[in-house]
Amino acid sequence: MSCTQYDNSMIKLNEIRNNFVSEIKNMNKLLSLFLLLTSLNAVAQQPSRLYDSATRHQLDEVVVTATRNERKITNVAVPVSIINQKTIQRAGSLRLRDILQEQTGLFLTSGFGAGVQMQGLNPDYTLILVDGEPLVGRTAGVLDLNRITVGNIRKIEIVKGPSSSLYGSEALAGVINIITDKSYEKKLSAGLRYGTYNTVDGNIQASARFNKLGTSFFLNAYRTDGYSIRPFSVERSKLPVWRLTPQVKLNYTFSDRTSLSLSIRYNYEQIRNELAVSNNGQIVYSRGKEVNRDLNIIPTLTHQFSNRLKTSMRLYGTRFEGSQQLSTTSGLGYDDYFRQQFYRVENQTDYSPLKDLTLVAGAGYILENVNSNRYDSKESTKTNEVKYGFLQADWKPFKALTFIAGFRYDDNKLYASAFSPKIAAQYTFSDKFRVQASFGKGFKAPDFRQLYLNFTNTAAGGYSVYGALEAQRVIALQQQSGLIKELSDDYYRLQTLRPEFSNGYNAGFTWQILPTLQWQANFFRNDITDLIESRQVATRVDNSQLFSYINVKNAYTQGVETSVKYTLMEGLTVEAGYQLLLTADKDELALVKKGGFYFTRDANNFSVPLAASDYIGLPNRSRHMANLKLNYEHPTQHWFFTLRNLYRGDWAVFDKDGNGIYNRQDGFAKGFLMVNISAGIDLPNGWRMMAGADNLTNYIDITNLPNMPGRTGYVSFNYTFSTSKK
Amino acid sequence: MKKQIIQTAIVASLLIGMVACDKNNDSAPVIDKTNDGTFKVFTEGKVTTVQNLLGDTIIGLSPIGQPFGSGKYTLFSLENKAIVPNSDSASSNWDIGVRGTTIITNSGKSGPGNGGAFVWLGAFDNLTTIPTDSVFRTDNPPTYAIPTGSGRGWYNYDGPTNLVTPLPGRVLVIRTAKGKYAKIEILNYYKKGQTPAVSDADDIKLRNQRFYLLRYTYQADGSKTF
Repeated sequence: MSCTQYDNSMIKLNEIRNNFVSEIKNMNKLLSLFLLLTSLNAVAQQPSRLYDSATRHQLDEVVVTATRNERKITNVAVPVSIINQKTIQRAGSLRLRDILQEQTGLFLTSGFGAGVQMQGLNPDYTLILVDGEPLVGRTAGVLDLNRITVGNIRKIEIVKGPSSSLYGSEALAGVINIITDKSYEKKLSAGLRYGTYNTVDGNIQASARFNKLGTSFFLNAYRTDGYSIRPFSVERSKLPVWRLTPQVKLNYTFSDRTSLSLSIRYNYEQIRNELAVSNNGQIVYSRGKEVNRDLNIIPTLTHQFSNRLKTSMRLYGTRFEGSQQLSTTSGLGYDDYFRQQFYRVENQTDYSPLKDLTLVAGAGYILENVNSNRYDSKESTKTNEVKYGFLQADWKPFKALTFIAGFRYDDNKLYASAFSPKIAAQYTFSDKFRVQASFGKGFKAPDFRQLYLNFTNTAAGGYSVYGALEAQRVIALQQQSGLIKELSDDYYRLQTLRPEFSNGYNAGFTWQILPTLQWQANFFRNDITDLIESRQVATRVDNSQLFSYINVKNAYTQGVETSVKYTLMEGLTVEAGYQLLLTADKDELALVKKGGFYFTRDANNFSVPLAASDYIGLPNRSRHMANLKLNYEHPTQHWFFTLRNLYRGDWAVFDKDGNGIYNRQDGFAKGFLMVNISAGIDLPNGWRMMAGADNLTNYIDITNLPNMPGRTGYVSFNYTFSTSKK
Repeated sequence: MKKQIIQTAIVASLLIGMVACDKNNDSAPVIDKTNDGTFKVFTEGKVTTVQNLLGDTIIGLSPIGQPFGSGKYTLFSLENKAIVPNSDSASSNWDIGVRGTTIITNSGKSGPGNGGAFVWLGAFDNLTTIPTDSVFRTDNPPTYAIPTGSGRGWYNYDGPTNLVTPLPGRVLVIRTAKGKYAKIEILNYYKKGQTPAVSDADDIKLRNQRFYLLRYTYQADGSKTF
């Protein structure tokens, strides 16, 4: 009985430093220089102008994600922001993670890869789309944003607030849609970047049109040595990795009205693992590699019957396959395999019966299956099917007013179905001022992990986690064998999982105070019910614990996001962004307010009642986040400069007083400021050269920000050859 | 020479007498409350503080990584404010015993005494009288009067940080081996009453744990009022 304190022991995978890279480093430098020169020579033909002369005014920008229809951003009635290609390039971003972390209100989490926290909700609740189709292959709910290169991204659309009425599951906090370059004009471009930790990133992009056939090809290669921010430790905070992403796009135009397109994207990722698993003081070293493969195929047939009626038939198939094999000093090997396949057929029809009314109707079928040895067996295929339909009406009764209403119904095979309505309105008082408000219901279906996981960690504490569909059966078997000591109260709460639901409210305004000064704000509130959490359901005779998943929690996140954009002079803009975020677990909050249940400790370690004002809600969230960005572009000489200051306030990380909830007396990660700069020249003859440094102040927090390196720098060269004059 | 010896003896006896006087005199004793990592007991008013009561030293790790010690409980008498040798376990001389995170009472299968306990939710000072409808549980392994396990009895164990924290607002209401009553608040589980930093190595977290810091009030008159 003396050992029950190790109840919750969770494996701690600490990435360790490999020491044999130094010799290869110099070779890599030579190699990359060679690559740079050859790739530049390859395209050094008569350069012509591809110079995006001026930033398009935001008013003209078109978004598709908010309504599944091309619409001006000024007329979508929901909070949308766009990150354009130029911003991405000038920030020196390589992976999707890099550029998202600079956006107001988004926070990038670490652990199982980089995930994005939106409106205070975990990465599980944001749908990530590439060209309108979802990426799969999440680990513990996180889709690693490092998997996605930004090399061929034309723009990123971010829709905040529930969008399940159009996209179904996962679009609970919002949607991030990555739109890749779709131009088929004759163009060839190549770029190479070299930076700290031998991080090399190369892109080649080519497109051409042959009569009715548009073709486009893209290839990205990325590698890094990784790094360790603990210089004298065996632990490596970022592992050596290399990735290769080819993408091919074809578009065949049968007529003005009919076209067929095909997009194939593949992503290969290999991570070299040198791990130290710390097991209550004893360290077990492991070595091996992790390989992730990601394939997306999207054929789309679009037909425009008339100006009023358009239909598109989309097929989508994607597969994510991840494997990790490790050999360890303890002799026990580790072999993890996960494969997820997702197939979808969908029709979307847009119809405008009246000039001011557009209807969007769609229906589809999803077949999804997973094989993994994290579940009972790699060979047994877990399958889910979803049938869904959606309808949206977009009505402009008069010029200043836009109404959007819609719903979607998802019929799921494995768990309860979901109905997701949405309503939004926008009123434009003048060119200078508009207000918008929306309400939507979002949901996230239980994932395969929560349904089927069958995982026992023999290394640390010997705990096991079983999916909700497995738990009762597995525990009953163990009970028969006399392995179970006791069942906890939560065992009796095990039942068929329901999706997690949210009611999201957004209201905001855009005010063009001066031609050079714009102010935007959006107030949000998300009420989430039935959050799924892992809870201890039983204890084995050897005191190891058994966990499973239950719909238990109700929570809210609310706050305001605001931004100001000011053009100081020609070419010089200053943008400031801020988000205030307040969160709570509703059940905890009720008990805290009632009093008598939660306590904390004073300076003498004596228990004192917890004041309601000390309760802070959900951990790992900063109440304050802010950024201040300065962009300068010389009007005639084509050089540019950016300075991006990103601030994140304190966030709770550790329940120091042990009362089970997070309050001001607990352990916090210190707020920090990250300063990124870049400068370069973007010539009309197709050359772009730039250099930059991230985390200029060299801010490091080993405990709470293990994936944030100190100061890093890079240089990059790009060349574009194009026949079209923009 | 003799004179000198006698003089010295007188002076010495005087000194001893003075010291003895000081001991008997209750006026403002100076208590050294510094927690230097050694076992120490001191009393202020009704409240007795126990520092570094070691609940069995860790001598190894089990195959699944759980630490274990010699397996013996450290026994303590609330009445006498002292550790009781483990060899005396089959007696009513001790009231509670600690080993790792498990706390036993001199009751049921743990000892021959008339002990028992339950966990009361609230602040230590607010428990002035034990409610009349209280039920004292006894030790009948695998269940104990003071429930074992994280978040269920008196502590919380956090896996990711590998730290044990006493749950705030938990008072262990004890019936002693001899049927008297006491209330205990566990203040800390680590040496010197200092929880290691989250970033400290597991080794430090293991070596410094099991050193109980607690305070208690013992009611000698047998009543349930403190």
